Amino acid sequence: MDFTPHDNETINSMLEIIGVNSLEELFLDIPEDLIVKDLNLPNGLSEADLYQKLKEISNKNTNYSASFLGAGCYYHYIPAIIDSIISRSEFYTAYTPYQPEASQGMLQAIYEYQTAINRLTGMISNASMYDGSTALSEAALVASIITRKNKILMLKGIHPEYVEVLQTYCWGNDLTLEEVTLDELYKKIDENTAAVLIQSPNFFGDIEDIEEIIKNIREKSSKCLIVQSMTDPTCLGLLKSPGECGIDIFVAEGQSFGINPSFGGPGLGIFAVKEKYFRRIPGRLVGKTMEINGNREGFILTLQAREQHIRREKAISNICTNQALSSFSALLYIVAMGKSGLTEVANQNFQKAHYVKNQIALIEGYEIINKGPIYNEFLIRCPNIDLFLSECKHKGLLPPLKMSKYFPEMKDIALVCVTETNSLKSIENFIEAAKAAKIKGGNKDE
Amino acid sequence: MNESKIELIFDKRNKVNSNNYIPKLDIEQKDLADIINNKFLRKELSLPDIPEVEIIRHYTNLSHKNYGVDTGIYPLGSCTMKYNPKINELIARLENFSKIHPLQEENQGCIELINELSMQLQEITGMDAFTLQPAAGAHGELTGLLIMKKYFEDKGIKKDKIIVPESAHGTNPASAKMAGFSIIVLETDKDGEVPLEHLKFAMKGGDIAGIMLTNPNTLGLFERNIKEITEIVHENGGLCYYDGANLNPLLGTCRPGDMGFDIIHVNLHKTFATPHGGGGPGAGPVGVKKELEPYLPRFDNSDNKSKSIGRIRSFFGNYGILIRAHAYINALGKEGLKKAGQIAVLNANYLRVKLEKLYNLPFQRICQHEFVLSEKNLPNDLTTEDIAKRILDHGIYPPTVYFPLILKGAMMIEPTETESLSSLDKFVSIMMTIFEEAKTNPEIIKTAPHNTPVGRLNAVLAARSPCLHD
Amino acid sequence: MEYKFLDNVKYTSTHEWIRVDGDVATLGITDYAQHQLSDVVYVEFPEIATAFDKGADACVIESAKAAADLILPISGEIIEINETLADQPELINSSPFDDGWILKVKILDPSELDELLNIEEYKDLVIKELEK
Repeated sequence: MDFTPHDNETINSMLEIIGVNSLEELFLDIPEDLIVKDLNLPNGLSEADLYQKLKEISNKNTNYSASFLGAGCYYHYIPAIIDSIISRSEFYTAYTPYQPEASQGMLQAIYEYQTAINRLTGMISNASMYDGSTALSEAALVASIITRKNKILMLKGIHPEYVEVLQTYCWGNDLTLEEVTLDELYKKIDENTAAVLIQSPNFFGDIEDIEEIIKNIREKSSKCLIVQSMTDPTCLGLLKSPGECGIDIFVAEGQSFGINPSFGGPGLGIFAVKEKYFRRIPGRLVGKTMEINGNREGFILTLQAREQHIRREKAISNICTNQALSSFSALLYIVAMGKSGLTEVANQNFQKAHYVKNQIALIEGYEIINKGPIYNEFLIRCPNIDLFLSECKHKGLLPPLKMSKYFPEMKDIALVCVTETNSLKSIENFIEAAKAAKIKGGNKDE
Repeated sequence: MNESKIELIFDKRNKVNSNNYIPKLDIEQKDLADIINNKFLRKELSLPDIPEVEIIRHYTNLSHKNYGVDTGIYPLGSCTMKYNPKINELIARLENFSKIHPLQEENQGCIELINELSMQLQEITGMDAFTLQPAAGAHGELTGLLIMKKYFEDKGIKKDKIIVPESAHGTNPASAKMAGFSIIVLETDKDGEVPLEHLKFAMKGGDIAGIMLTNPNTLGLFERNIKEITEIVHENGGLCYYDGANLNPLLGTCRPGDMGFDIIHVNLHKTFATPHGGGGPGAGPVGVKKELEPYLPRFDNSDNKSKSIGRIRSFFGNYGILIRAHAYINALGKEGLKKAGQIAVLNANYLRVKLEKLYNLPFQRICQHEFVLSEKNLPNDLTTEDIAKRILDHGIYPPTVYFPLILKGAMMIEPTETESLSSLDKFVSIMMTIFEEAKTNPEIIKTAPHNTPVGRLNAVLAARSPCLHD
Repeated sequence: MEYKFLDNVKYTSTHEWIRVDGDVATLGITDYAQHQLSDVVYVEFPEIATAFDKGADACVIESAKAAADLILPISGEIIEINETLADQPELINSSPFDDGWILKVKILDPSELDELLNIEEYKDLVIKELEK
């Protein structure tokens, strides 16, 4: 395929106007020994052949009919209206809205996204970060800038891949990162703590008692920032907002808000702060303002003095391109679902996960690990985990996560996720798979 | 309601009970109190339930207030706003890509694409290995700089400074700082290029980890001494980082790896035609030479992990964007990539020779994919910003303004290879018209834009009393 | 373009002015500096009682399009900040030498005052910058 819109005659007349004899003559500044003769790549394809090739590649993946896998990436129903709107090329082929007068569409969409996140969280949101893991890492950096301290404590239960990203970012910025249990947390907080990071619902599925934890932290430190991270924010349809709980910085992976899994990306880094910190928010911010010589309202990128193109090495973050289209998808999801839909989605996730949890608990040999409240994920100890997972696959179900992937010591434990997309039929198949694995495996004694 | 107030989606007066999208609950609804303690639950959620037709109309009308590459020329220097092929959208939406979970085992198709894209990028850029994890160019820069940092840490050498030319994009110093480096700014010479003697002198400092460069540079000029530049840095024990923002003209003609760069990032949303999306998502894969391969981010639990800088994003990266770039490279093939680069340079030089007759062009030589005008010639004390706002009145998007910082009132113009001759001529005609207006009717330019949904907006008010949500 | 200069203050090469009264120095940015920044929107103050070395960035002055650091020309301990600027940052533009003062510091090393510029030296510096 070729998207250059000139025929040879046009090219030649343009060369003449420029004053050179050939296209190669435009590259005379490049030392001759750096000129590539030919790339070692195949020739181009027609559109039909391209589509065929990619379709064949995609068919080597298995697309399951139902999923019991979450662990940071979730299957939720995505209303058709979302793709229909974001596919309008005025949005998706636009650049960052630096010229606001020609970008009011996108700017208003981002402002509405910031408003939507504010309504859900009670906090001030930016225009997005890359994903949940980098949003959490940048939250740690911002906390260290605000407090001028460099000790980060993270409560056990953060997504293991997020922990890895945190480790990279903290190493890059000379921040110390320590994982603690709740008891250890209260002992280790001191005047050098920049932030405490808490994921809730956490990687194991538990909903933490955020308000209680904050109360206890504040008895030890009034200065450190408390950061909450979340991998599936659909729970906010019912759960108390982080702003109301007293969280200083809220980050989340927004993929659950209307974005396809797509093998893990693109996602959406939601980043919101308590009002008093809004001048330290990294990334883009859209503000509402007025015309200089008129009385119309308009939207504009604002507080840019924090950003890299102005502050350069003194910027709060280096972020430039963010995830505008993803944040637009999230906005549309929140708006289309509305209060009733968001409440219902959260309700169904609670209902279905608890239903499956109770059903599994009835099967001899299986044990539910979680003691407290959960949202849509929970841990089960399995009598024959490998058999169980393969039984799921036989029934066309994407099996739950084998926890030993991240925690080698959790050998027989699976992380099950149930959402509104799991029909009763798929749940029955899942229970069947669990029972079959128990029967086929016999008694597994160490 | 005040006529000048904008109606947000949340202001819509029409309500429904529910749009009823998700599956009907097919198990017994239990009392929520049996599932979770009331203290965890919110008391209210202040979001409306808006009818679908109202939502569609609201955003369809918003789209009319926006401008994309599909609308017209988008000559933003340094952004490479080239046409986004529609077949790529179809491919990215294939369910066997879009519905695949990153943690599922049966993912051979996805992994095959990742491997093929990595190899293609290696061949195009002359590097030995790639990571596709970084979610954007700046993210790629951070990744590359962390690789540099780890490399020296591993060798037990203290190197904590990075040289950045004064013409560099703002993300360069910001990324260097995020990786724990401090910056040494190098002034460019009178030809707009990196001065070798100054570079030699700066490198003598001893604790310089390396240099961050883009080539062609942000003036659109090829650094003619690039081989000497990378040699000097290497001789002094440093590494060379290539900012891939300006890779487009070099496709199929010249490769950063051959120039001597050790680490590079590419911007898939620039050079490889993935959509800009109004500000992302993009992707910024990072390529390295063999010696640095052990430091790349790892996402498997292999034994090499110990030298890796670690993970820089969850899962595999912005996979949906990788699909589009992969499709683009396959569609163009080796001859199409080369032609894309050549036509990008052709189009830029065409605009250059047409515009230099009136506007001030500080660097009078053949440019690569972009060139920079300054506000020096403008009549009646008009500024680059005034011109940009007047361009909006003609229904097209203005070039990048006030970058690079080394030129006063810089206007950076990059048409890309997908602009037709009539599109280019239209742009020239608009610029000529405005220049004439500047002489005869400067007032209309000073107060522009007049034909856009809003006029110039009060940035000071927005920053002094920020209103960030309704 | 006419810029205002006062002859009863000292200057720095980074466009701060400093007025000394005993062991207390009052600091702000010059008329030339505020003009470069244009409309100031926010000032990020340091905490009272923080001590800074000479040359440190004590304060950030933000406008809609730029941000500048106020660099302390002398070592000092912050004793007072101009809180009016929180509501009226534009005072830095309208009255840079007077109501737009930014910080008061306790001077820790009086000898450092000798290195400051007088009005003529500062005017020369501005003229040179404008010629570039």
